[in-house]
Amino acid sequence: MITVKHLTHEFELGKKGDKTLLPVLHDVSFSVDAGEIVSIIGRSGSGKSTLLNLIGGFIRPKSGQIFIKDQEVSSFSEGQFADFRLNHVGFIFQNFQLIPSMTAYQNVELPLILKGIKELERKRITEETLKRVSLEKFHDHYPSELSGGQQQRVSIARALVLNPPLILADEPTGSLDSETETDLLEFIQQLNKELNITFLIITHDERVAKIGNRIIEIQDGHLIEGGNH
Amino acid sequence: MKFGDQFRFVRQNIKKNKMRIFMTVLASAMGTTFLIVLASVGFGLHSTVLKDVMEQDLINEISIYGFDDGEYRLINDQDINYFSSLANVRSVRPVNYLYQSPNLQINDFQTNAEVRSVDFAAEQKAGMKLSKGDYPKKPNEVIVGYHFAEDLYPVDIEYEDLFDENGEQLEKYTYDDELIGQTLTMAIEKMDPDNNIESEEFEVTIVGITEKPKADWQRNYTLYISGDLLSQIEKYTETLNGDPASTDENSDLTNERTYSEVYIHSDSLQHIQDLTTQLTDEHYYAHSVATEIKEINMLFNIAKAGLIFIGTIAVLIASIGIYNTMTMAVTERAPDIGIMKAIGANPKTIKQIFLLESSYIGLLGALIGTAVAYLISFVVNLGLPLILEAVFDDQIPEGFKFSIIPWSLIVIAVGICLVVTIISGARPAKKATQIDVLKAMRRDL
Repeated sequence: MITVKHLTHEFELGKKGDKTLLPVLHDVSFSVDAGEIVSIIGRSGSGKSTLLNLIGGFIRPKSGQIFIKDQEVSSFSEGQFADFRLNHVGFIFQNFQLIPSMTAYQNVELPLILKGIKELERKRITEETLKRVSLEKFHDHYPSELSGGQQQRVSIARALVLNPPLILADEPTGSLDSETETDLLEFIQQLNKELNITFLIITHDERVAKIGNRIIEIQDGHLIEGGNH
Repeated sequence: MKFGDQFRFVRQNIKKNKMRIFMTVLASAMGTTFLIVLASVGFGLHSTVLKDVMEQDLINEISIYGFDDGEYRLINDQDINYFSSLANVRSVRPVNYLYQSPNLQINDFQTNAEVRSVDFAAEQKAGMKLSKGDYPKKPNEVIVGYHFAEDLYPVDIEYEDLFDENGEQLEKYTYDDELIGQTLTMAIEKMDPDNNIESEEFEVTIVGITEKPKADWQRNYTLYISGDLLSQIEKYTETLNGDPASTDENSDLTNERTYSEVYIHSDSLQHIQDLTTQLTDEHYYAHSVATEIKEINMLFNIAKAGLIFIGTIAVLIASIGIYNTMTMAVTERAPDIGIMKAIGANPKTIKQIFLLESSYIGLLGALIGTAVAYLISFVVNLGLPLILEAVFDDQIPEGFKFSIIPWSLIVIAVGICLVVTIISGARPAKKATQIDVLKAMRRDL
């Protein structure tokens, strides 16, 4: 599903004329098979979030290649990557990243609108997806009217609504209490089993990382070979 | 993303900032109103001047007053034959004026009117229309102008006694009998060699009355006689055109027949312009309203373009508001835009949404501005004549339009407004596409 080859990245710091380079990732290579749950674990500043942002196309690598579903996404233009994300990749963020002026229903419906799906069909899919995350009674609630766990469920519903084969999750339980965290992790495993969705989870929490079939550890931008859990 | 969904997005976003959008639409509407009202004055004056020119003259007519290739002369029969032979000429109508204003009498009423000798067949062909009666068939049959009867007054009343204290002709002295079929006596005068005035009466029958002139202010008191009758008069006065005294060699009856004016008619405006150019090049004094209209149109089109340009400046000023509103909208919505981009919104879609929003504001402003402009135009046309009359005690000509808003002006104004708003929304829209997803999601913008 994902193949990363010799990925290197560095950030430019400072102003023009006085720039310094901060290396973040060094020659990172790994692959994720379809249907796997792979956790990437590392300390804060180890480069794990940068890795996810590179795979998600939010930043461009300095060198190396990224393949998703056998397509070299690292060579995509911004527009091509946006279309690719819409059709093949779902995202779950630590802070949920819901649009506050939209209801739960509207947030989940958004990817369908972007894809140009007709209104009736949208309604059916959105309602089904909200039901799947047990939020059918919260259609008209704004994010501010939902608990953290409910907001994350809306975020998962939005990631699921277009049936992507891959979901990238960045600290998905970072803003949740331990009870809600457990529920969410079980739900991720359930989705993986039932829908065969591949998950790539970035976390600093070992408990979260353990739901993966494989754990990859990153230290100071270097990949430490991850084994099967 | 479908257009309908983009439009729904735009409307939702507009609802979030009603007051700011209202103020922006207001500025845009004011700009459009200013543009339309300003240009409408140009359109109004253009229309009024054209109407005025066309009421005074016929559009498909060329007037020829003489020939001058270094030596001036009047138009003669040879010229008439030449004009008739030209391509695209429908009719040639020569006109001569009687060189005296004879006393004209019908029963106990009299007047002095201009007498014009015309070729009735040519006049009819050129489009002369009668409000009553028929065209003359005999030399002693005549046509009178539409207002001829108004000028008749009783023979036994002094002219100054005809009017009341307001200067209106007293009703009891007006001629209210039928004119058609009446015998009209023309008292033609001439001077004998000892400078004594002699007079002879020529009796003619009125057989027709011309149609009412196009403009209400125009008056036609003319008496139209045939060329044969003019010849009879000339035979009596022994001068050309019935000149009562043989003042110079030009009035010698042995001279060739000449005409004071000749009018050429054609079917199309283009032929009139071409013929006028040709005859002018051939040293004829030719004038046509078509060439005048061409010059008027050119002058007013330049003026209208100038007014539209000035009006566009107002729209441009309004566009600064749109630019500001859209820039604020992009800044405020940056986190939302970041989320949308993260879940797969194409930068093109983001740009389209913001361009649609600025166009929507512009279009709304243009439509409201157009409606207000129509209202102002109506009020100006209604109120300005009253104000001018009250302040300057001056009568505005009938049918005078100070402001006219044709469809073409609406299309131009709305077009300008839309183009300007799209341009002013383009930079913020581009800025929206360049928003960094990660920074936006961190609320770091």
